Amino acid sequence: MRLNDVVAGYGGGDVLHGVSFDVRVGGITCVVGPNGAGKSTLLATVSALLRPRRGEILFRGEKLQGRTPKQVLQLGIVQVPQNHSLFRDMTVRENVEMGGFLVRDRHVLSERLERVMSLFPIVSERGKDKAGSLSGGQQRLVEFARCLMLDPALVILDEPSMGLDPKTLKVVFDMVRQMRADGRTLLLVEQNARAGLRLSTHGVVLENGRVRLEGTGREVLEHPEIGQLYLGGAVAPAAAS
Amino acid sequence: MQTLALYVGFGLVTASILCVGAIGFTLQFGISNLFNLAFGATMTAAAFIAYICNAAGLDIWASLVLGSLGAAALSYLLNRGIYLPFKKRTTSLFTLIMVTLGVGLVIQYGIEAIWGATDFSYTLGPGRSLHFAGMVVTTTQLIVIGIAVGAAVVMHLLLRYTRLGKAMRAVAVNERLARNCGIPVRIVADSTWVISGVLSGLAGVTLVMDVQTLNSSTGTEFFILIVAAAVLGGIGSPYGAMIGSIIIGVVAEVSAGFLNPAFKDITSFAILIVVLLLRPTGVIRSVASAKEVAR
Ligand SMILES: Nc1ncnc2c1ncn2[C@@H]1O[C@H](COP(=O)(O)OP(=O)(O)O)[C@@H](O)[C@H]1O
Ligand SMILES: [Mg+2]
Repeated sequence: MRLNDVVAGYGGGDVLHGVSFDVRVGGITCVVGPNGAGKSTLLATVSALLRPRRGEILFRGEKLQGRTPKQVLQLGIVQVPQNHSLFRDMTVRENVEMGGFLVRDRHVLSERLERVMSLFPIVSERGKDKAGSLSGGQQRLVEFARCLMLDPALVILDEPSMGLDPKTLKVVFDMVRQMRADGRTLLLVEQNARAGLRLSTHGVVLENGRVRLEGTGREVLEHPEIGQLYLGGAVAPAAAS
Repeated sequence: MQTLALYVGFGLVTASILCVGAIGFTLQFGISNLFNLAFGATMTAAAFIAYICNAAGLDIWASLVLGSLGAAALSYLLNRGIYLPFKKRTTSLFTLIMVTLGVGLVIQYGIEAIWGATDFSYTLGPGRSLHFAGMVVTTTQLIVIGIAVGAAVVMHLLLRYTRLGKAMRAVAVNERLARNCGIPVRIVADSTWVISGVLSGLAGVTLVMDVQTLNSSTGTEFFILIVAAAVLGGIGSPYGAMIGSIIIGVVAEVSAGFLNPAFKDITSFAILIVVLLLRPTGVIRSVASAKEVAR
C-alpha cells in the first residue's frame, strides 16, 4: 500500500499536511510520533472514516479515497480503533460475530468463527460474558479476534499496547507477529515507540502531520535524533539490538 | 388486602402498556441518542388512526394494526424528515430536545384542531370481567397484557438472535465502532424508528382500549410514566424498560387507588428519584453510561 501526499483534517484546519510513505506487503509498519501528531487521523483516512482533502491512497493498485468505510472493509482492510473498541454490553461472542457482519454466507462465517476461536481460546472460554467484564489485555485479544473475522489482508492497529502491563503486552505483540506469520500485512501506530519499532519491519516517524523519517524498524530505532526526541534519550546499543 | 390485589391487577395492565411504550422510547434513545419528547404525541396519533378505522366499521384488532402501522410511518418520517436534518446542523442536545418537544406539540394541537377537545372511545366487542386472586380484569385488559408480553418476547428474540437486533444493540453501544465493523448504521437506525413507531402505536391504541377514552392529550399525559419507567430501568436498555414498567405501573395504580388518581405521576417520580439517587444509572447499567465510557 502507498500513501501519496495525503492531506486531511477536521472542520477548519488540516491535521495531515501531505503524508507519503509505503506499507510493505507482508511486513509490519509502525507509525510513531508524539501525541497529537495525527497518527489516528492517518488511520481514519485509510479506513475511509475521514475523507482526504488531497492526495491518494493506493492499495494493491486500487484507489481507496472516495470509497465508503464498508467498501474498504470489503477490500480486506480492517482497523482496530484506539482503546475501548468493544461493544461493552454485548457478549464476547457477539462482539466477534459483529466483526463478521459483512460475511453473509453462514458456512463461511462459522468456519471463520472456528478458526478465530482456535487462535483465541478466550473467545470460547468467556464467550457468554459481557465484553466489558474482561481485563484490558483480554479485551485487546477479543478486538483482534473480531478483526480477523473478515480474514483481512491488511490489519490496522491503533496503539495496541495502550494500557497493558508488560506481560500482557508480550502476549498481544506475539499475536501481532502471528498475524504477520499468517500472511497479513500490518500497519500500526504506537506511542510506545521503542516497543513498537522493535516489533516492526518498517518505521515511520510522524510529526505535526508530516513524515519526519522513514526506514526499516531498526534504522528508525537507531537514528540518533529520533532516539533523542521520542525514545526518551539516546538509544543504548544494547537496547537497540 | 382485597383492594390491594385489585389495584395491583390494574397496575399490571398499566405496566403492560408502559412496557410496550417504554421499550420503543428507550430504543430510540439508544440508537439515535435522542430523547424524543414527541413519543407521546405519536401514541395519540396512532390511537386516532385506530379510532377512524374503528368508527368506519373495522373491528378493534384491525384498527390496532392500522394504527400501529400509521405510527410506524409517522415515526420514520419524523426521524428522516426532521430529527436527522437537525442533527446534521446542530450537536446541541438541548436544541434537539426542544425540536422533539415542538414536534410533539404540533402533533398534539394538530389533532386537537381537527377533532376538538372532546373525548372519544372505541367500539369494543362485548367483554367479560374475570376474577383471579382478588384481581378483576376484563377480557380486553387480559388481551392488552397478552399483547405486551408478546411484544416483549418478540423484542427479546429480535435483539438477541437476529442480525438486525444485534446490529441495533451494537449501534446503541458505540455507533462509530459499529460503522467500523461494516454495520449499515443508517439502515439500522431507520429500522429502529419503524419498530419503535409500531411499539408507540401498540401502546397508544391499547391505552385507549384500557382507559376507554381518547382525546388529543391522551398519549402525552401517559408519556410521563413512560419516561419514568425507561429512565428507572436505565435509559437505552430495553430490558431495563421492562423492569421499570412493572415497578412504575404497579406503584402508579396502587397509589392512585389508595390515595388519589392525581398521585400517579407524583409517586412514580418519587420512586424514580429515590432509585436514581441510589443508582444513578438506573436499574440496569444503561447504554447511556456505556457510551460515556466509549468516548
Ligand atoms: N474528531 C476530531 N475532530 C477534530 N479534531 C480532531 C479530531 N480528532 C483529532 N483531532 C485533532 O487532530 C490532531 C491529531 O489527532 P490524532 O490524529 O488523534 O493524533 P494522535 O493519534 O497522533 O495522537 C489533534 O490536534 C486533535 O486535536
Ligand atoms: Mg491516537
